Amino acid sequence: MVKKMNSNESSFFESRRTFLKGTSYAVAGAVVAKGVFSTVIDTPAMADELKAVPVPNGTPMYYPTPKWDPKQYTWKNFVDSYNFNPSENIWNSFHELDGADWKRGGIGRNGIESEENPDGIKLNEYMLVPTACSNCEASCGLTAWVEIGEFKKTNDPKDLYVRKYMGNPMHPGSRGRNCAKGYATQSQMYDPDRIPFPLKKAPGSKRGEGKWIRCTWDDAMKDIGSKLAELVKSDDEVSKNMFIYQVGRPNENGFGPRVPMSMGLDGWDSHTNICSAGAREGTIQWTNDDRNSPDWTNAKLIFLQSSHAADAGHYFQQAAGRIAEARKKGAKLVVMDPRLSNSAGIADLWVPCYPGTETALYLYLANRILNEKDINGNDLVNHNFVKNWVNWDRLMANKEYLKLLVEKGYIKSVPAGDSYEDFIKMISEMYQPYTLDFVVEECKIEARTVEKLYDMFIDAGARVATYIWRAGPIGHRGGWMIARSAFLPFVLRGAMAGDKGGVGLHHWHVISVNGKGEAATESGEHPEKVDAWNELAWPPEYPLSTYEMSHILPHMLLDDEWREKWNKKGLNVPEKLAVYCPRMYNPVWINPDGFRWIEALKREDKIELPFNLSPTWSETNWYCEYILPVGLAGERHDQHSEATQPSRWLSFRQPALRVALEKLGWKPKHPARGTLEAHMASGLGEIWEEVEFWANLMTDYVDPDGSLGVRKYWASKKDPSRAVSIAEWYQAAFDNLPNLRETAKKKYPNSEFPNYELMRDMGTWLEEDNIYRPQERALKKEGDKYIAHGHEYPVDEVEKDEFGTLLVEHEGEKHAIGIEVDGEILQGFHTLSKKLEFFSEWFAEWKWPEYAVPIYPRNKEERKKMIHLVTQVHHDYMEKENEFAVNTIFRLPYNIHTRSVNSKHLMEISQNHNPVWINTDDAKRLNIKQGDAIKVTYVDTLTNIESGYFIAMAVPTEATMPGVLANSHHAGRWKLKNAVDIPGFSHQLGVMGLGAPLYDMTMDGKVGTLKPKEGLDKAMLARRDTWQFKKYNKDLDNIWWDGLSGAWQNAVMATHSDPIAGNHGWHQKAIIEKAGPDDTIGDIYVNYENNFKVFQAWRDKLTRPLQAGDKLRRPMHMPRTGPKISKKGYTVNITE
Amino acid sequence: MNITLEEIENRSTLYALTSRLMMTEVDEEFLKSIESNADILALFPNYKEWEKRKEFSNKILKERYLDVDFTNLSLLHLVPYETFYTRDDQMIESGGDNPVLSIYDAFDFKVKLEEARVVSPDHIGVELEFMYMLCDTMKKAYEANDEDAIREFLMVQRGFLKDHLLNWAPMYLINMKRESRTALYHDGAELTLEFMLSDYEYVNEKLEEMK
Repeated sequence: MVKKMNSNESSFFESRRTFLKGTSYAVAGAVVAKGVFSTVIDTPAMADELKAVPVPNGTPMYYPTPKWDPKQYTWKNFVDSYNFNPSENIWNSFHELDGADWKRGGIGRNGIESEENPDGIKLNEYMLVPTACSNCEASCGLTAWVEIGEFKKTNDPKDLYVRKYMGNPMHPGSRGRNCAKGYATQSQMYDPDRIPFPLKKAPGSKRGEGKWIRCTWDDAMKDIGSKLAELVKSDDEVSKNMFIYQVGRPNENGFGPRVPMSMGLDGWDSHTNICSAGAREGTIQWTNDDRNSPDWTNAKLIFLQSSHAADAGHYFQQAAGRIAEARKKGAKLVVMDPRLSNSAGIADLWVPCYPGTETALYLYLANRILNEKDINGNDLVNHNFVKNWVNWDRLMANKEYLKLLVEKGYIKSVPAGDSYEDFIKMISEMYQPYTLDFVVEECKIEARTVEKLYDMFIDAGARVATYIWRAGPIGHRGGWMIARSAFLPFVLRGAMAGDKGGVGLHHWHVISVNGKGEAATESGEHPEKVDAWNELAWPPEYPLSTYEMSHILPHMLLDDEWREKWNKKGLNVPEKLAVYCPRMYNPVWINPDGFRWIEALKREDKIELPFNLSPTWSETNWYCEYILPVGLAGERHDQHSEATQPSRWLSFRQPALRVALEKLGWKPKHPARGTLEAHMASGLGEIWEEVEFWANLMTDYVDPDGSLGVRKYWASKKDPSRAVSIAEWYQAAFDNLPNLRETAKKKYPNSEFPNYELMRDMGTWLEEDNIYRPQERALKKEGDKYIAHGHEYPVDEVEKDEFGTLLVEHEGEKHAIGIEVDGEILQGFHTLSKKLEFFSEWFAEWKWPEYAVPIYPRNKEERKKMIHLVTQVHHDYMEKENEFAVNTIFRLPYNIHTRSVNSKHLMEISQNHNPVWINTDDAKRLNIKQGDAIKVTYVDTLTNIESGYFIAMAVPTEATMPGVLANSHHAGRWKLKNAVDIPGFSHQLGVMGLGAPLYDMTMDGKVGTLKPKEGLDKAMLARRDTWQFKKYNKDLDNIWWDGLSGAWQNAVMATHSDPIAGNHGWHQKAIIEKAGPDDTIGDIYVNYENNFKVFQAWRDKLTRPLQAGDKLRRPMHMPRTGPKISKKGYTVNITE
Repeated sequence: MNITLEEIENRSTLYALTSRLMMTEVDEEFLKSIESNADILALFPNYKEWEKRKEFSNKILKERYLDVDFTNLSLLHLVPYETFYTRDDQMIESGGDNPVLSIYDAFDFKVKLEEARVVSPDHIGVELEFMYMLCDTMKKAYEANDEDAIREFLMVQRGFLKDHLLNWAPMYLINMKRESRTALYHDGAELTLEFMLSDYEYVNEKLEEMK
């Protein structure tokens, strides 16, 4: 039909001119026209020319239409032309007409408002304070437009407010652009349900009852500080592990780990194992860096596994812009995803691959690259790169390992020679079984799609850019091998050389100085390494996890048998946590098996003092002792940098109101509490920030007299009687960046804190640009010393091994500092061999030899043996027609897990009830129609234990592949009360009134349920005359949405801890059926006792734990987040 | 003056119809207005015979087929904005420098972008609606028998077609026709293109006669 239509013949050529004559359409234009024009004839005639009208105060900086001139404000010109003059910085006073200007016909008609012209257009005076978005990890630049005109008249800080957040045109990463989440910062800031002051659980009430009293920050710090001091004072090893600081998306570079480290505690949990641990594991094995970093702009092929980079996930706003630029230059876009995402929808090729089988597809590409030639008969392998930069030599020299490959059936015999050519021949044989037929069957994908993908991959040469991150690697058991194998074809083609248009590495492109302000502290030193090891973060079953096993923290705390088992073997696993502090994180809601988290938090004997540093209400807050409100994007200090391009840039996040006040002459009473004081003075509330909070907590409450050795790391060098101030800290931290330091000195010659002031005024910095192939840079040598990673090594103490790697000894361990390639000493990659490691020797030594090269089972029998590499949702496990794999981990571009919940603007655009996508053929077979409520029951395939179910709305669509459902786990927020009363406070505090419906909850230790009870409108209407931030919330009677954004499916899931990478495998096997008459969309039912059994089975049946004879907890070279640990901490002695 | 009221009304209807089709997704009412009139339906010959139209209700047609096609043709794969076609860098000018703004301003017309759900005033739907507005206003001049005003309007229409719509919209409409996956938008693209071309000839002819 379409083909027929799309002939070039016109139906009208013959009948041109019959449009008007002899016909009367009998439908008036007005009936069908949309009517998008309005007239402005009620306003005076337009002035002939719109000119700059003199501003009353004579400021020359006035533009009828504020417009960024990209030429003037691009980073380069900005610095080169010295356009940036701090003393005349137009950002300090920027005039703009009020928004009503455009509605009323402009100043040309009305003039500017003044005493003589009261009907004129209002002219706002802004100070633009640069900051950085905090609503995802990308750290795009923002400018907070602080209205200062009123304040200048009244000198009352309460007249200062942020009118809007816009982009920061100087930011090298985001280049002035933001996504919806960036601009929504304003609605988060003035959220009518914002927590206005610290809250403490009401004395006598139980956690979860929702009874709160008001307290001060100092009340809370006194309680928390004394508890932490007890841990620090205690000599026993277990106390060092009874604190956990659990960080959601950190959005800062290195400050957090300083907190436990300065107290000598190993208390740190990141959220990585529910986010990116699979990708990190696979990437570490190749590179010993945990992330890659593509050069999108210069690529010829953009290869995305998932929609992540281009429409919702990591750095997507910045990445999408660069991907668009590459495509404009002719680059092709491939999106591999079982779901037709927005990215896949506009791609040149959509590759719907059955989830969890991506490894097979990557090895198929490797097979063809190794075994085929190009059209000129030349090899497709980039031998120049592979020979010099892959550790094939170590593999070929390791005959014992080669024998294992034979034993496992990967190759037929041990190669006779050990040359590079022998290596290529051997792996050509190893990957031969990954044929087109195999891939078509394994990945459930059409042959023509696979072949087209291969052609596009080859056509792009070495200019293929990718970002392997979430999607497959975090969805599955063995997800890490997806990342590991994904890089193989890139390596073979030379695309991993970190060159233009290819793939580089994260640590080349990032700046981390946020925790390096020690020069401003009394000690002048960074805290010492910690002599402890916390099994609650790094349990002995997961020595190679990336990173902390935080998603099973409550499970471990409540598993007495497990703790006793290991304590009998000589470990010292804590039976409880004394202090637990999530930061900007909502672990109850976002982690799998959420009822287990609630159980643990309710147990006051297991988690004695939980407190949340949280800018918003959250499900986790509900079960804490204290809720301490901290700042959002424009209300806090962080140095933040991300690897979004081949350069090193940073953002400086700042509290806009504080900066504006200080620039206008205001001073805090306490120099180290400026952010809190500024927010209180300006009426935002008792909102603080972590940098000042932790410094004050340590100096005033944990170690006030310095006797514990903690205080010196936080007290000011300038004035040791108090905590370090922001200006002092960041002056010292930014001093680590030579180019920044030099520019700051030049620009602020008379300042005490030039680095800080430069960043305060610019909010961003580009330290180094165009970073390509840094592994080929010569190893620095001064005199008779090599310099690597900031250390000096005398040449005569450096040993070169048989493979050309330069080694030094440190703390009894060998470290590689460089590599000889073609007679030159180069810096090399970050690995032990200084090359990309096709063969991960250390991984083989750490109990997993059969997986130390990229590999994937080739038949059902191998899938049983190599179960660690087989996804828990493999099609082998789908037996009945209503059994499906559920793709749960696609991100929604308008939401973040925790902080966006009550942003009015984001909520309004995110009301789609997060349906379950089901392929139209599957839906037809099961007689499921659009809008039907379906019951989705999750079943674990290792144990065949059922977890429970949730009820969701089905949407049949061809945008998900047959056999695979899609339902994002980023939705389904809930609350148990609409508002809370605070004794002595005259207003109720609303709870997530714009973003989460009211639910009924039951839980009895075994089974938990949630049922939606009431939408938003009733409670919100009752509070529409909000007591706080009314000016920004005049539209609360206009909440048309009910807030139900799908079911809380995270709680239904059992934990699926990958036995190697440790990540939760998010994808689920589901059995679906139509919902019953009593079921409503949003319901969940969870047997969390069953989920506990699943947790134990995955741990006990699949892992290879530490055992007697093991000397270390984990390879010391392998990255470990959180506090730095001493050799003593790493050392272990397991007794049988 | 060799112009009839019927001609003016028909032009007005066709500009309104095509602008509405290009501007936002269809709704029941709009589909009915096409289907209830045999002459209008005849302008959509493939749509008239489209099997799916007979198989499904308008609601289902809209949700499963028409809206999907519209999204593809106006948001995902094609860019229905004049500046995208006329600027060297292919960027949409959404600010004050958009070339059609001064013309709209001259007639005291303002585009309600949020209602049109477009990012700038040079969207094909808006430009077509502007033509509709001009035709509709011209009708008043016709009723007042004001030949000078009619000539003036025809000249403006000719100028707008020549300098704007015909300068770029054919490129978009040819692509739209090729990319379309539903009979409605396929026919709609062809109708719009052919109508604009014939209308340009018509306007020139009339102005020639009025010399």
